[in-house]
Parts: sequence; structure tokens; C-alpha cells
Amino acid sequence: MNYKILKWVRVAVSLIFIIGITSAFIFFVNRESNFFSQFLKIQFVPSLLGIFSGGAAVFVILIVLTLLFGRVYCSTLCPLGTFQDTSTRVSNLFKSKKNRRFSYDKPKNWIRYTILSVTAIFFIGGVTAPIAWLDPYSNWGRVSNEIISRTEQLIHNALANIFPEAIFFRSYAHFAVGSFIFALLFIAAVIIFSSLRGRLYCNTVCPVGTLLGLFSKISLYKPAIDHSKCNKCRLCVLNCKSQCIDLDSESVDESRCVSCLNCMQVCKRGAISYQISWRKRVVEQSDRKEPVSNERRKALIAMGLVGTALAAKAINFKPLLSSKPKITGIAPPGAVSIDHLKRNCTACYACVSACPNNIIQPATTEYGLDGVLLPVLSFKHHFCGYECNMCTTVCPNDALKPMSVEDKQLSQIGEAQFFLEKCIVYTDGTDCGACDEHCPTKAITMVPYGDGSLYIPSLNVDLCIGCGGCEYICPAVPEKSMVIYAKTIHGVALKPTEDKQEKVKVDNFGF
Amino acid sequence: MERRNFIKTAILGGIAGAVQLKNNDLFAGEKMSVSASNDLVAVMGGEPAEMYKKGIAAMGGISKYVKKGQKVVVKPNIGWDKRPEFAANTNPELIGEIVKDCFAAGAAEVIVFDHTCDEWQSCYKNSGIEAAAKAAGAKLGFAHDEKYYKSVPLPMGVRLKEVKIHESIIDCDVWINVPVLKNHGGARMTIAMKNYMGIVWDRRFWHSNDLQQCIADCATYPKMPVLNIVDAYRIMTQNGPKGKSIEDVQNPKALFFSADIVAVDTAAVRFFNQFREMKLEEVSHIGIAEKMKLGTTDIDKLKVERIKIG
Repeated sequence: MNYKILKWVRVAVSLIFIIGITSAFIFFVNRESNFFSQFLKIQFVPSLLGIFSGGAAVFVILIVLTLLFGRVYCSTLCPLGTFQDTSTRVSNLFKSKKNRRFSYDKPKNWIRYTILSVTAIFFIGGVTAPIAWLDPYSNWGRVSNEIISRTEQLIHNALANIFPEAIFFRSYAHFAVGSFIFALLFIAAVIIFSSLRGRLYCNTVCPVGTLLGLFSKISLYKPAIDHSKCNKCRLCVLNCKSQCIDLDSESVDESRCVSCLNCMQVCKRGAISYQISWRKRVVEQSDRKEPVSNERRKALIAMGLVGTALAAKAINFKPLLSSKPKITGIAPPGAVSIDHLKRNCTACYACVSACPNNIIQPATTEYGLDGVLLPVLSFKHHFCGYECNMCTTVCPNDALKPMSVEDKQLSQIGEAQFFLEKCIVYTDGTDCGACDEHCPTKAITMVPYGDGSLYIPSLNVDLCIGCGGCEYICPAVPEKSMVIYAKTIHGVALKPTEDKQEKVKVDNFGF
Repeated sequence: MERRNFIKTAILGGIAGAVQLKNNDLFAGEKMSVSASNDLVAVMGGEPAEMYKKGIAAMGGISKYVKKGQKVVVKPNIGWDKRPEFAANTNPELIGEIVKDCFAAGAAEVIVFDHTCDEWQSCYKNSGIEAAAKAAGAKLGFAHDEKYYKSVPLPMGVRLKEVKIHESIIDCDVWINVPVLKNHGGARMTIAMKNYMGIVWDRRFWHSNDLQQCIADCATYPKMPVLNIVDAYRIMTQNGPKGKSIEDVQNPKALFFSADIVAVDTAAVRFFNQFREMKLEEVSHIGIAEKMKLGTTDIDKLKVERIKIG
């Protein structure tokens, strides 16, 4: 087996994935097609969350891949993994040759298994918040949206100033400070971890890494050291970013190995290579300190965790720990309900980036404490486009279920409420009708008012889908006369009437 | 600070006023030469391009309005993310034809834009206007951000004393106003004067400060369109201005031309009245505009040419 070629294949695939995934968050590339959004679906947590709605195939492939070759996901498909490798490489440019070297480090089992258990317990209990905060893909999404995409916007707007006729200015719609800081702190921490200690995040904090690590304990092929060939030159150890090769015991901790193939590539003697695991056991038998069954036990625990999670998902557990504040956040179309969103969304911001109207933004307290960072609608700068279903098509998690434009046009995400005493027609006695103008379903119509020379809005909530057009445009200050209230469970509106009218034929101009 | 701002505004206002006065003189001169032909032209029964050609000829030809080397703006209504058959936006074929004609008259550049209500790129695209205007050689103007608008004083305005107008209107030599004829829940009708809402940034202010008066106020902006062409190829007679379904649309195949914005709006309302009752008095911005001497509603006294095709 030529590990050199294999390693470069891995690097190439990982670059394709990080570029593909990041592109899905960049305004320009995702505006016209959602080609890049398909990359988001080939991720571990999204496929787990979307397992009953199209994610199953990817999930099975990822698990099988892990059972065959260990944590291939971590070094090939995970965008945060690839980013960390890049960060390690870049930081190496500023280090002395000696400082670039890695050494073996003991696993931080207590930390990583605690984090995994807590995350799993919350997840099984129907709360995705811990996964949302720690999942590498979702974090990469947030970093892409808050930092990379914003940088792209700044560059774009600088170009728009240089070429005002050819390039349009992209309005700075909203800036969620909390979410930006979260992304910034996260990426700063990961950069520090990776430039000092390689894949420390992946092997200590990341619940996906820890979980896949449990699976890779029983994988068919494992990296193994051949005593007869190894001359303990330590080249493999120095290049192991997972710090999992222990030459003293001549063993590789496969639960932390991310299958990056670096060791196999650098070894001049071919002493470290993938071996079918039963053969490896023979090779290592003499040095083995722990009983064989321990590995299997851990893998069984992992399978148990995944199984329970899936079972919980299948029977649709209601969140056990749910603060019950007054919900003011309006969930994007396709979210089904705020509970469904909380159970399935990991706040990767694919929808935030995709929304052409820039009305989806990270929540602060709109959904309560367990909904911080989840996508929420704001009608301050625009409203939900009637002909648009973009957010529902890009969500990799099934947190926003795919919806046809026709279905979305009937999906009630919120419900308008009309406050007569705030309405311009009532307060000023002049024409307005801005809400009626924007209402796509004609839930709002203008009806005669006062002495008959004025018209005032009349609202039929059965037709209202909560798109926010009326609230956005309502000119009443400081409080709007039309306000959309969230529907905690999305409803289905009545189909707008067709209002058939006789087709008139005229022969004259009327004057 | 207050005083400095005041002086700044005063000086800028003075300069703007002087510049616009000059423009007005220019237009006054042109109007004299136009006055020999029709004041108002109404065309019915053809396809948009065909009706435009007949109508503009009866108005004395495009070169009466657009001179060689001029920067021209053609301002349609592209307010909504709707396809042409919904009549929510101006007919794209008509826009394409006008742009072509402007270039034929020697226009240096033609810009087409609107401050849309729905998301602007979808509006430009799905209205068919982006494709039609580009095919005819026009540039699409960006109008989705406040940065593209500049504040101008409206000394004659009653409620609207100052307004942010799109830079391409401020910078152009002449502009042609090409609204589509629709009913409107708030303003009753949206025709030529109401189409000014697409050249300004802050529309909410209008809605909360006597909409009908603000519509007329904005039409006092000294740089008036040299020509108003009302698209009534398809008209929206109910649920306007956005519309719900194709049922809201009638297909009378008509166009109205006039340099007098009040006259063209009057003609369009009287035409519309044949499809759905609409009294001129109800569309009160038209009456207000006449009082403000922006034009006449007494179209029976004007020189009108009526053209029927087929």
C-alpha cells in the first residue's frame, strides 16, 4: 500500500470538503444554486439529526467507514479538522524546527468521556444545545457565517465602492454581537489548541471525535507498529498531530488517531501501517496491559449511546429540560415547531447565510435559554419572501424540513395582530395601506372607514402566514400597528381565495 | 454644530436649487418645441412594442425628449417578485422597446432601476425587466440600499420638505416615468405619480405623513420626467398593488403617453373606471397635484390623440 499517495488523496478530499462547506456560507456562491449546501449533508451530526429524513445513508457510511478504518471523518470530511491541520501548519512557519515536533501525550479520558456523556444525555433528553456548541461542523458553520462571510462582505463592499456600476453594495443588515463573539472565541481557542497541541480539541472536547474514537476501537483496520521493522527513530511520533503514538509500548491509541496517515507517510521503514485488527492484536499481544474486552466494552457503550439517541429521536422525546419562558422568537419556515427546532438544530447558520432577505439571525433569548444561537426571524430590515423557500432547502439537519414554495406559502410561522389605536389611518385620519400593500395572501384587506373617504386594514388571521411584510413596512412609531406573534407550533393557513372577476372588454378609452 | 449643519444645508440647498433652475430652463425650452404636437396620446389594441411605436410617433418621436449624448433613466415599476403576467410590474417588452428607442435617439447611457418592495434581485429577474433592459443595452441601477440615495429639498412640498432621491435620477439628463396601471389599497390607484415611490428611499415617512399629500409633494421635484408612459397592457384591478393571482388581472392592451403627469394619471383613472368603478376624486393625490399646479385633470381641453390598432 502506498501511503504517500493515500495521504495526498486524503488531503485533497479534505480540501474539497472544507472549501465546499465554507462556500455554502458565502453569499455569492449560494445565491443562485444550492449545490454547495449538499456538502453540509455529508457531516456527522447533521446526518445523525436528519437520520429519519434522508440522512441515514450518510450516517451509515460514516459509521461503516469508522468501523473499517477509524476516524476517517475527522481528518477528511470534518471542516474544523482540516482547519486545525492548516492552523498547525501555519503556526509551524513561526516555530523553530524543534518546536514543531509533537510528542506522545496521555489521553484526557476523564474530560472527553464526561463531555461526551453530558452531550449525549442532553441529546437523548431532546436538548441539542451542548451538541450545537461543541459540534465541529456547526461551529465551522458559525465561523464561516460570522467571520469568513462577513470578511467576504467587507471585501465585496470595498469592491462595490471601486466599481459602483458593476458591483452592488451589500447592506449591513444585522450584526448579532453575541453570536459573533461566540464564533470568534471558539475559533481563537481552536487556533491556540491546534498550533500548540495539534488535534487537542478533537481528542479532548469534541463529542463527535470522542464518539467515533469509541467506534474506532473495534475498527477492522488499525494502525499498528511492526516491532521487527521499527528502529524507534520517533519520526512517526514527531509527526502525529493526535499525539497518540506511544513508542514505549509500541502502540497507537486508535481512539485518538484521526487516520491522517502522516505517520505511515513519514516512516522510512514501513514499520507503521494499517493492519487487520486481529493481526494487530497478535503483534501487540506481548505488550498489552489492559484486557482485550475493555475495547469492546467501550465500543458497546458507544453503540448504546447512538442507539439510545436514535431511539429517543424515533419516539420523538419532548425536551426534558426546557425552560418555559414566553416564546417570542419566530422560527423559520419548515421548523415545524419551536420544540422540533430545539431538538434538531445545531445552529450551523446554513439558513442564516442562505436567506436572501437577511431576516434569519441567531437568537439571544427569544426561544429561552436552551434556544440561544438558534435561528430566529427578525422583520426589522425585511420580511420573508413569498416566493422563496431557500432556508428549508439548505438545512442539513432536518431542523428545517424541506418545503416546496407552494407549501411554504401556506405555512404559518406566526400570526399578525392589528392594533387599531396605533394605525396611521386611525391616529392621523390619512390614507396609508402599507400593510395591505405588502400582504401576499390578502389576509389584510382595506375596508371603508369613517365617513367613507378612508380605508383601514382588516385582518383575517386564517389567511395570515406570518411573513412579516406588514410589520416590516408599518410606519407607525414607536410601536407598530401590525405585529407578528410567533406560533410555537407552525400551522397551515387557508388557501388564499382566487377572487374571480369578469373579464371586461372595452372599446373606448373612457375619456 | 446645529448652526454649522444649518449653514451646510442652506448652501447645499442653494447650489441644488441653482442647478435645478438651470435644468428647468432647459426643459421649458424643450417643451415649447414639443407643444406643437399632442398633449396626450392613448393607444389601444396592440402588443406593447407596437403600441409604443405608434404612441411615441404621435407624441412627436423620442428625439423630442431624448437628445444625443444624454444620460437617460427609464423608471418602471419593479416593486414585486412577480412574473409579467401578474401585472404587478411594468411590462418588460415595453421597457426594452423604450430603452432601444432612447439609444436610437443617441442616448449616451440608459439606466433602468426601481426601489423594490420585495427582495430586489428576485424582482429585477422575475419581472423580466432585467433581461429585457439588458438586451436593449441598458444598465440596471442598484437601488436597494440607502447609500444610493441623496437628500434633496422640496421647497414646494407641503408635508414632504426633503426627500432622499436615487442618485441616477439626480445625475441623469432626462428621465422617463413608466408605471403600470394598478389599483392600490392605500393610495387607491398607483400610476405615474405614485411611481415616484420607487425613486425615493424612505417610503414609510410618506405613509405616516399623509400619503396622498406626500405623493403630490414628491412630484414637485423640479426634475420632472420628460415623458410619462402608463403601461395598461395588463392592469391589476383588484388586490393591488401586489396582487394574489392571475385573476386580479385584466388585459386591455393600452398605453398612455403625456409629459403632463396629472393629465396622464387622470386619463389612466378614467380608463380604469371602465373596469372597476374609480372616481377621480377618490385618488386624491391627483387633485392635490393639480392644485399644486403640477398639471391638469381637465384632459378634455388638451390635444388628445386616440389610436386604435386592429
